[in-house]
Amino acid sequence: MKKFLFKVPIYILGLLLFLEVMVRIFHLYTEDPPRYIDDLLVEKRVPGHQGYAVTGNRNQNFSKFNINGDGFNSHIEFHPTDTSYEIAIIGDSFIEGFHQDYDKSIGVKIEALMDTVQVYQFGYAGYDLANQMHLINAYEDKFEDIDRIIIYLNYQSDLGRGTYEPNYGRIKMLSSPIFKIRDNIKLLSYGSKIGILEPVKKLFSSKGFKNNSNLDEDIVNLDEQYLANFQSLVSLYGFDKTKTSILLDSRTTSTMFLEYCRKNQIDIIDFAEIFTKSEKPVTLIYDWHWNNHGRELIAKRITEHLQ
Amino acid sequence: MLFNSIEFLLFLPTVFVLYWFLFKKNVRIQNIFLILASYLFYGWWDWRFLVLIFLSTVVDFLVGQKIYEHINDKQKARRWLWVSMAFNIGMLGFFKYSNFFVDSFIDLFLALGYEIKSTWTLRVILPVGISFYTFQTMSYSFDIYYKKLAPTKNFIAFTAFVSFFPQLVAGPIERASNLLSQISNNRIFRYQQATEGMKLILWGLFKKIVIADSIAPIVDDIFANYSTYPASTLILGVSLFSFQVYGDFSGYSDIAIGTAKLFGIELKSNFKFPNFSRNVAEYWQRWHVSLSTWFRHYLYIPMGGSRVSKAKSVRNIIVIFLVSGFWHGANWTFIFWGALHALFYIPVFLMGRNRMYAHNVVGEKTGLPTPFEILQVLLTFGLVTFSRIFFRSPTLSDSFSYINTIITDFRYEPYVHPMGYRMLDFYVLLGLFVFYEYLIRKDDRNPFKFKSRAIRFIIYGLVILFMLLFYDDGVDRSFIYFQF
Repeated sequence: MKKFLFKVPIYILGLLLFLEVMVRIFHLYTEDPPRYIDDLLVEKRVPGHQGYAVTGNRNQNFSKFNINGDGFNSHIEFHPTDTSYEIAIIGDSFIEGFHQDYDKSIGVKIEALMDTVQVYQFGYAGYDLANQMHLINAYEDKFEDIDRIIIYLNYQSDLGRGTYEPNYGRIKMLSSPIFKIRDNIKLLSYGSKIGILEPVKKLFSSKGFKNNSNLDEDIVNLDEQYLANFQSLVSLYGFDKTKTSILLDSRTTSTMFLEYCRKNQIDIIDFAEIFTKSEKPVTLIYDWHWNNHGRELIAKRITEHLQ
Repeated sequence: MLFNSIEFLLFLPTVFVLYWFLFKKNVRIQNIFLILASYLFYGWWDWRFLVLIFLSTVVDFLVGQKIYEHINDKQKARRWLWVSMAFNIGMLGFFKYSNFFVDSFIDLFLALGYEIKSTWTLRVILPVGISFYTFQTMSYSFDIYYKKLAPTKNFIAFTAFVSFFPQLVAGPIERASNLLSQISNNRIFRYQQATEGMKLILWGLFKKIVIADSIAPIVDDIFANYSTYPASTLILGVSLFSFQVYGDFSGYSDIAIGTAKLFGIELKSNFKFPNFSRNVAEYWQRWHVSLSTWFRHYLYIPMGGSRVSKAKSVRNIIVIFLVSGFWHGANWTFIFWGALHALFYIPVFLMGRNRMYAHNVVGEKTGLPTPFEILQVLLTFGLVTFSRIFFRSPTLSDSFSYINTIITDFRYEPYVHPMGYRMLDFYVLLGLFVFYEYLIRKDDRNPFKFKSRAIRFIIYGLVILFMLLFYDDGVDRSFIYFQF
């Protein structure tokens, strides 16, 4: 028994070491460049990081990112001038684009379609409209020189609040020792990504049940709440209708909100039709982000709208 | 509790440590602990059905003694045997087959032009493992009746025998002569046995997680939408199902045998690389061995087996396969599946080739299989796989439609994984799996039989790496044979 009890932990440790080496050799883990909140209370990435974001158990989606001097994943630095024409696209992970090579982003595709244009992608996973509006306001100087602003609005997840407060909790959590250990032990990082730790998390967390009997009523209330949040953010930060558009999918946006935008002359770039007509899939097969074809369609739709 | 769950990962080491350190000195206390652990293991799924296990235990314990009391009075002994059968089969009949009989009765009348609006169909939950532990307890009564065993007076040991958690819910179906004698006596911890157990658990988990679970979404998709797919996809679907069900069930058995070894107990082998069988008879000597053996000992041989006329032997084969099919599930598809296997088996039997490969494996002397052996293996795999269309389809009509589509829409079209995964990964995986199983085909109890410790270690590592590479968080992780 002694021999058994002695050897089992040794084997377990050895195997974990072996797996750590394999995960590193085949780069099965994903990299998540560090985040921080700057002096203007904008949450973003620490500038100057390059690496690879990985999706799927078997490296099914492997893409390079490049965090520029402003702390966003982009092929260019953001230096707008009076003389050149710049477009800013602000949004969440769909705009941040860790699921694509940074040099094949929506911005690069728009630049290819429109000559003499620079596209600045202010994308950050987790941004909602409050983040986006605050960012425009905080970087006022920069945005004065930017000619067009496009805000990507995921209606179902981006209108949850009517005021902005930096997410200190997330930054604190990500810089906590547990997360640092997770990021440094690649096997753990990989295991966490593929969901192998989920059963452990579930075991120690209880599930709540929501009564769905008033679902329709809830949705109506939610739409009203979303609209109120939108109005609150607009009144807090302003909304330059002359150069700002909202990029959205009308299939997943409430008619109440669309109607409000129409009445208030808020410019909408709707990509629902172009996505519906697409014969090829527009999202990645391993997650829900836009694939290369989806990004091409988005770039085409924005270009058509702006021209 | 599932073997491939986090709960079991915590349960097993805890029970192991307590079993060997705290309760080792007294076999009676060790067995009481084993019973409690087993009841906890089963009750984790649904504690209410523990009553059934306990009742089955009590009935067969008492019946066993009664049979033995009247062992020289055949009539009385048989009467007591019938009590055991009536109780166990009655329980099975109620929980597993009652709705099937009611529905079949209604269908029969409907076919004759009478519509019956039934209020008899019951909302019965099928207790997990009922087909396994009832067969195990019945085997005890049979063995006493056939004078192969004296009844035990140790109720605690008998309860531990019936409820022994590694094999409680999906076998191997053990005979008292093997398991009860081990449970009744002192167990000694043996390093060799424990490490063999760990290896079997690892290999079983690999078969379950990497082979069965990763293929499951493909099989589910193809069988759910078979009318929209061409022949190539349908053939792929049923072929993959063959691997899925093998990985699932043999994986379970390996984990069960491995876990039992950790407790110093040897269970019988249940799978002996059936995919390398050279005819259907050999397949049944290698697939779900504990059930085949049960039917042979307690049904086929009492009916005369092959020691009667050819016609009667053929009748016996048909009966045994029909019953085996029905054992799997209360559905005509399983009965048809059994009938099909009888049809495949009878020619082999009539040619006298049914015991031909009982004591050797493919490529026994040559290492590599001969071209003739490859043909034999492919033909057997093809026949068995074809029968699985019935095993997997929800109704007989679906099975026939599936086959009809293969015939009428006989064309090739590349199949796209429902989640979009690269199919090549799965083909390479299965190729490697078949190749590796071929390498280890001579010893089902030792999947890592390599002399070099370094090679063994690398293989352990690769096996776990493959589990990570093919782990799917969203898949239903329960075992297929739990439903039987």
